[in-house]
Amino acid sequence: MNVDESAIPSRGFWAEAWQRFRGKWIPMAALMVVVGLAVVALLAPAIAGTKPIVCKYKGRLYFPALAYWNRGLENPVFFVDRFHKRYPENLTQKDPDSWAVYPLVFQDPYRRVRDGEREGQAGNRVGAAPSLRNWFGTDHSGVDVFAQMVHGTSIALMVGFVSMGIAAAIGITIGACAGYFGGWIDILLSRFIELVMCIPTLVLILALLAILETPTIWHLMAIIGCTSWTGIARLTRGEFLRLKQLEYVVAARALGVGNVAIMFRHVLRNALAPILVPITFGIAAAILVESGLSFLGFGAPPPNPSWGTLLNAGRSNMESWWLILFPGFAIFLTVLSYNLIGEGIQAATDPRLRQSQH
Amino acid sequence: MSQPVLKIDGLQTYFRTDDGLVKAVDDISLQIKKGTTLGVVGESGSGKSVTALSIMRLLAASAEIVSGQIAFLGQDLVATSENNMRRIRGGDISMIFQEPMTSLNPVFTVGQQVMEAILLHQKTSKRVAREKTIELFREVGIPEPETRINSYPHQLSGGQKQRVMIAMSLSCNPQLLIADEPTTALDVTIQAQILEILCQLRDARGMAILFITHDLGVIAEIADQVAVMYRGKIVEYGEVLDIYENPSHPYTKGLLACRPRLESKYRFLPTVDDFMETKEQENGQFEIVEKQVDESRLEHFRSAGRGRRLHPLADLEALGYPWDPSTHDDDTEVVDKGTDPILEVKDLKVHFPIHAGVLRRVAGHVKAVDGVSFKIFPGQTLGLVGESGCGKTTAGRAILRLLNPTSGQIVYRGQDITHYSPAEMRPLRRQMQIIFQDPYGSLNPRMTIASAITEPMRVQGIGSSRSDRRDRAVQLLEEVDLSSDYLRRYPHEFSGGQRQRICIARALAAQPEFVVCDESVSALDVSVQAQVLNLLKDLQEKRGLTYIFISHDLSVVKFMSDMMAVMNAGKFVEFGPAELIYEDPQEEYTRRLIEATPRDDLDSLRARVAQRRELLSAG
Repeated sequence: MNVDESAIPSRGFWAEAWQRFRGKWIPMAALMVVVGLAVVALLAPAIAGTKPIVCKYKGRLYFPALAYWNRGLENPVFFVDRFHKRYPENLTQKDPDSWAVYPLVFQDPYRRVRDGEREGQAGNRVGAAPSLRNWFGTDHSGVDVFAQMVHGTSIALMVGFVSMGIAAAIGITIGACAGYFGGWIDILLSRFIELVMCIPTLVLILALLAILETPTIWHLMAIIGCTSWTGIARLTRGEFLRLKQLEYVVAARALGVGNVAIMFRHVLRNALAPILVPITFGIAAAILVESGLSFLGFGAPPPNPSWGTLLNAGRSNMESWWLILFPGFAIFLTVLSYNLIGEGIQAATDPRLRQSQH
Repeated sequence: MSQPVLKIDGLQTYFRTDDGLVKAVDDISLQIKKGTTLGVVGESGSGKSVTALSIMRLLAASAEIVSGQIAFLGQDLVATSENNMRRIRGGDISMIFQEPMTSLNPVFTVGQQVMEAILLHQKTSKRVAREKTIELFREVGIPEPETRINSYPHQLSGGQKQRVMIAMSLSCNPQLLIADEPTTALDVTIQAQILEILCQLRDARGMAILFITHDLGVIAEIADQVAVMYRGKIVEYGEVLDIYENPSHPYTKGLLACRPRLESKYRFLPTVDDFMETKEQENGQFEIVEKQVDESRLEHFRSAGRGRRLHPLADLEALGYPWDPSTHDDDTEVVDKGTDPILEVKDLKVHFPIHAGVLRRVAGHVKAVDGVSFKIFPGQTLGLVGESGCGKTTAGRAILRLLNPTSGQIVYRGQDITHYSPAEMRPLRRQMQIIFQDPYGSLNPRMTIASAITEPMRVQGIGSSRSDRRDRAVQLLEEVDLSSDYLRRYPHEFSGGQRQRICIARALAAQPEFVVCDESVSALDVSVQAQVLNLLKDLQEKRGLTYIFISHDLSVVKFMSDMMAVMNAGKFVEFGPAELIYEDPQEEYTRRLIEATPRDDLDSLRARVAQRRELLSAG
């Protein structure tokens, strides 16, 4: 081996996996879609809305669009001055020197844009087909579908990440304990996993929503997370059972390394790549569950725009095809992307594929 | 004589990888005549298996035969159609592999699998195929073939599975049998049987055999001609006796010298590096520069280091080997009277329960270790030798309390550690270490070399700071002859020998005084094995280590150990000074082990070659 070459630190497992992942265009395209959706979710108030991104009013700068993230971020001055959410006309009326930068699309996800709200833009018609003014059409109360979808993106993504975050934390912990310690602990935890597997998620969610007084999207995520960790747990258990017999784990025990350190430093690090795959698939499944619930009318509470809620609206107005097509396609694209990413991770980290290269 | 069965001319097989072109086989030429065996020997990665796969045209998609000819009975296999090739494979040329465990499909009976091979290439009825299978089983020495053909692979032992594989490969009367390390995964006694059967079959059927192995000892037992491969090239090619008597290439000389022989008196082993140096050139070519090994260097291998260190006189007497200076080398010493043993094991038993039935009741026990007692004194090496399944690994792990003993006593430096809890064991882990067999499995692939070596220090509280521990890791790497530049790299970039050195460095990081070497060199090539054995001996002397050296290879154990124990079925068959056990085995089992070890001394080779010549000229 050349000396100069050997001084370079070798790339780690994840760096190599990333390079292999990057080399394949399908999972990369899927990753781009998800990254794109995340960007859309983050910039939603700047993409579609009726509140200015930034405006100068009575000598001060304001960012009313932040209200779409959190109502508390809207400066009280606009309430005091009775804007009634109609910025363009009020701004010019109450302060002729004011200026404002509006989102790309002047449409609100919560309400219908009325006539004369903004100069040169007519109000939304109810149940309008897609047009230049309403790209994806409007629903039965005249709210723009595009704006709803843009603002619904964050819910779709959050449902995936938060619920799978909860599921991964529970699943990995339980699976790791069952696989590593074995014996009675394994028997008990495995039976517990099987017990949870038997609970139909949808029914449990419906039951809990009936009990809760004010169900929010967070309750939904928690319930999805608490019921969908079983696959992750079983896979983690399997990986731990396999890995704990390997000699480097025995070597670590012989060196006097403690159980927790072995579980996390030695075993989990090697088990993580295969576990990542069901997590990505789980994100896709969680998005589907949320859309399904919204479709049935049990989803995110009404004011929140969500793709599933749009589908639900489309169900009662079958001739409004745009209410089905666009959100349906968005759900399809997101779920497909996550599944493709999952497959891409599998291909990039599978040891068998790696060996065949040598 | 007639045309050769196989004639390879200028074969080049290249692999296209992400890192560029790899010349796995680079311009080799060889031929095999009817009824003879060509042994191809080389270390892993030398291209010997790729040669075999090139002949069978079973190469992976990334490999390509770039040029050359493979003439099988005059027919060029490189140019022939895939359809034709399919007829030849398993018909005229068949192949047996290293791993009999994975070469058989577990869901079919072995009989079905052999019958399938027959039916595939010959138009016969099932009944005839069945009869033929039974006949083949008888030919390869499977007892009770009528009942055995209904067995599933897991019901057969490793040796029997390899016999089934041989029967399958013989099913269509091949003219050429390619055997790719067919005995490497087997015990020596089974290996001897398989080699004998292959020889018999070759002579009875007039078959040609291409025998691939890394073990020159096996070559001496079976081959007529030998091709020595090194980095994709054949560096030496000739009659087996010529090569053993007069090796001309430095690599062959090194290979021949670095094997620990049963009768050799070396204390350190010469390695291939003593005979040659490989210089890499700009264009990726390499050049071999021979080094002269003079007598003083050889003398160094014989005299460096210490002599054998035996148990105290009283213990020797009790073992049935009373001290007699005439039977030992002059430099053999005994441990002083009154020295306390570092480790004493009394009647150690490790039994594993067998569960059966719906309620998983304990139906019986596997007696992996069944009543073993011995002592080791500081600075000694105790060798444990035995065939697979004899309990030697279990014994080693039970002593370190990586397994819980069923009964008996383990006393380490006066402390009875038999029932210590994991927490009580932790401080002792520092003193007792283990080096494993599999250099690929015993390093965490996600940890850099630096974190692998510093982890035991961190756990055991050695070293004052991070940087201090890192400095110690550098020193350890240098101690095992590795560059400190390797610290930030991951294990997959290292060869088996380098990984084993890293494992040794990691074990030493805890500053142990007692080390169990569990088959630590068994997975390595002979040339690398010699280096690691030398290193272990060297470290023992420098650090005053005490070893338990576990191996299935009697010659390696004898080379390493002061005292030696032969194990079978969980018990010590024989225990005594290593030299004496080899010279005068008392037990039938030990004798069988010694006899089964391949003989590659010139006298037995000459005798075998003379016999072969007679046979070939008569036939």
